[in-house]
Amino acid sequence: MKIMVDILQLLLLILGAPLVRGIIARFKARLQKRRGASIWRPYVELFKLLRKEDLTPPTSSAVFRLAPVLLFGCTVCVAAFIPVAHVSALLGSRGDFFLLVYLLGLGRFSLSLGALDGGSAFGGMGASREALISSLAEVPFLMGLVALAILSSRADITGMVAWTLHQNIFNISTVHILAFTSLAMVVLAETGRMPVDNPTTHLELTMIHEGMLLEYSGPSLALIEWASAIKLHAMLALLIALFGPWGMAAGGSGWGLATALLLYCAKVTVLMVLLSVIESAAAKLRMYLVPDFLGVASAVSALAVIFTMWVKR
Amino acid sequence: MGPIEMAFAYLLSVLGVFVPAILIVSRGARARRLAITLILTAGVAGGLVAVSSFLWQTTSLLDLSWATPFPFSFAVDRLSAFFLLLVCAVAVPVTIFASPYFDLHYSEQQRRWTWAFFSLFLLSMIVVVTASTGFAFLAGWELMTLVSAALILIEGDSPERRHNVFVYLLMMHVGAAAVAGCFFLFLPYSHSLDFGMIRAAGAAMPGGIRAAVFLSAFVGFGAKAGLIPLHLWLPRAHPIAPSPVSALMSGIMLKTAVYGFVRFAFDFLGGGPWWSGYVVLVVAAFTGLLGILYAIAEHDLKRLLAYSSVENIGIVFLGLGTSLIFLAHHSLLGAGLALVGALLHAFNHAFFKSLLFLGAGAISSSTHTVDLNELGGLQRRMPVTGAAVLIGCCSIAGLPLFNGFVSEWLIFRSFLAGSSLVDAKAGIILPLMVGILALIGGLAAACFVKAFGVAFLGRPRSAEAEHAQEAPLGMRVGLWMLGAGCICIGILPGLLLRPLVSLVQVLVPGAGVPEETLSIAYIIPWIAAIVLGTSALAALLRPRARMARTWACGLPGLTSRMQYTSTVFSKPIRSVFAQVYRPDRKVEQLPTDQPYFPASIAYQSVRTTSYERVLYRPFVELFISLAHRLRRLQTGNIQIYLLYIFLALVSLLTFLRFQR
Repeated sequence: MKIMVDILQLLLLILGAPLVRGIIARFKARLQKRRGASIWRPYVELFKLLRKEDLTPPTSSAVFRLAPVLLFGCTVCVAAFIPVAHVSALLGSRGDFFLLVYLLGLGRFSLSLGALDGGSAFGGMGASREALISSLAEVPFLMGLVALAILSSRADITGMVAWTLHQNIFNISTVHILAFTSLAMVVLAETGRMPVDNPTTHLELTMIHEGMLLEYSGPSLALIEWASAIKLHAMLALLIALFGPWGMAAGGSGWGLATALLLYCAKVTVLMVLLSVIESAAAKLRMYLVPDFLGVASAVSALAVIFTMWVKR
Repeated sequence: MGPIEMAFAYLLSVLGVFVPAILIVSRGARARRLAITLILTAGVAGGLVAVSSFLWQTTSLLDLSWATPFPFSFAVDRLSAFFLLLVCAVAVPVTIFASPYFDLHYSEQQRRWTWAFFSLFLLSMIVVVTASTGFAFLAGWELMTLVSAALILIEGDSPERRHNVFVYLLMMHVGAAAVAGCFFLFLPYSHSLDFGMIRAAGAAMPGGIRAAVFLSAFVGFGAKAGLIPLHLWLPRAHPIAPSPVSALMSGIMLKTAVYGFVRFAFDFLGGGPWWSGYVVLVVAAFTGLLGILYAIAEHDLKRLLAYSSVENIGIVFLGLGTSLIFLAHHSLLGAGLALVGALLHAFNHAFFKSLLFLGAGAISSSTHTVDLNELGGLQRRMPVTGAAVLIGCCSIAGLPLFNGFVSEWLIFRSFLAGSSLVDAKAGIILPLMVGILALIGGLAAACFVKAFGVAFLGRPRSAEAEHAQEAPLGMRVGLWMLGAGCICIGILPGLLLRPLVSLVQVLVPGAGVPEETLSIAYIIPWIAAIVLGTSALAALLRPRARMARTWACGLPGLTSRMQYTSTVFSKPIRSVFAQVYRPDRKVEQLPTDQPYFPASIAYQSVRTTSYERVLYRPFVELFISLAHRLRRLQTGNIQIYLLYIFLALVSLLTFLRFQR
């Protein structure tokens, strides 16, 4: 029974991911006074790409073909860590947050290698910039999670969520606010959203993530796009699970699960609105200002870790 | 003599006597093959000795005091057995690799000497990790330095190489002096240099002497391990050695320093003074961060790997420092966890670093360069080598499913466990170290994306890379043995974790590891199954690919010059951390009055690393001026020298007279 719930949660994260993208795009369009495409559009695009031919550059090696596949596998595995509507996840109680962050790293590592294997200038450009941003983003990512782990005395995601669930909603600590701030900034950087990266650009001066997938086409491109959608969805779900789990089901009753699911949809919608507002209002940072942005996130997360000393005692 | 003792005696006599003797007496290729086979059997015998003495906890192995003027004996406890296993497990694949490598690179004369010294080098490292008296330890320690210097000099001769070897020998002897100092500080209390007596004396010594021993051991072993600022020799000596020797130096020789430090700080002293952990932690954090930052800026593959060794030693010492902090607070679970992490990282680093150095050797034998900016596209030309090197790169970047991750994970968890310490200082500092290690890990991933991506992927950047051939069979076998080790420990870490826990329990009585952290051994295979299973499913979604030329924005075609090079790849990171590098740049542009249309432009960037200027220059100048003053004593006049001798004699006699 429990394992069925866990698998359903994982499937929700994987299959719902394109919808999250579609809704964000729609919100953004509305904020810009456009009508925007259908929210189901990303599914159509995935389907279209999956039926197309896969092209590889003549100079590339097996790495070029393997990279998207491994990226997809890693991202799905990361999604298996995150509880959505029920306080459990397929890997949530055994695997800890270090594993989660480093699995994302493995996916990024393989995509960067795939980009370099394309043999054009853009792949290297994207990989080089991604290397800078991701190595700096890892610091606040892990430290924000460390602060929460110290508070809850648990290192596994479900343990941390279960602990938060037992706290009073109106009794949140400074540590939570600081950790949320830093992790929210990290999510923007990790998923390649504004103001760190522009997901809609194809201008070589500004591309980061898009630069890496420029040589990919057809089903390989579909896998990469799907994986980055899953990553976005999983990161939003992680924020919700860590900082706003109230309403999540702990027992096995179907009714509780259904309300928890509805609540989850509401929370994700709030985050999606927030994200589209940020994306429409903020300008993209200059490349060399991104380290400052991530430096602020790191400082905030370090403060969160330091404050745990007082909050906990 | 039981079978274990026999095997150990076989190991020492083969490496120390038979192999060099065969090579010196006979010149034929058949004798050399016999010698190589003997080295391999010795390696296997050493592995068996290590495993069996670990299981049955035999200690005393061999006493050679009858043959030497000093007590000279060998014993293998669990700590020694672990490091003996490390030496032998790496030595066998490296020997297999080295056989075709030396055949390709060296003349007949060079080959004989190289193999003789190679064998002695292995012997010296085995002596260091199994010695049970101070004399045996120091003898092995000294032999290790001299033989490795000889191996570097066989490769070639130039003023620059001599200078680098000089720096290497100088630093090593400063370190050796400090190590010898440690032993002599023990002497008044233990009255012997036998390890058992030293251990017994360790607890009873006054605090000041304990602190002095600790600091002296930290400096001595730190110089050998390459801790910043004592790492100066490392990026000079490792790149100029032949690749299999670099693999041994980086993979094993640095670990003997880790062994020595653990032996002194944990076994003999049972943890240092309260501040010792913090000192180690701070030095290790600087070592890790600066090491990887210098590594990422390199475009010479072997120098990059050498700097990355500095970084990994930093990670090992981060674990050791954490363990010392826990010990000072009598928190034995945390101490055990951090120590297991550090020892496992030392073991893992031995595997992936020697794999990567061998990979660099394979590259240089087929392209005659290790400059990343001249390489590219090798994965298509040397797929088997490339796949093994890729495993090494993933491991060193600390990615899950590979061995580097497991040890870094343990160290991360020990930082996190630090939050439970009552002491506020430790309770804040240790969790904050997560940030440092995260940054080191992130930069290491960036560095090895660059190293592998630029060397093996994309288009070849030179004619040599274009016409590269796959490495010979022996090289591929050596590479893949190490690669298989990396994957094996990465997916089934339980193989080493349980023995390591029992080792730590013997080393630090009462220490252990929180049971929940051993769960990594169960979860990693599941993760591997999920990641690989999903990837396989996703791969089924795709049809076969068709080759198509990349669109080149309307130009006739892409050239390799349009690709990112190693230098450009690291440019963003170098700009962000510009304070660390501070290069001396020189741009000469002609003619000067036309800034936008220069006829010629010359650009030169020399990176004299800033710490060299700040830390070493004053020392060097001080010593040179001291030496100039001392020179006044040396007049060259024999009567004056006789006067010195006479004065020394008189003062010694007076000293003896009034001593009673």
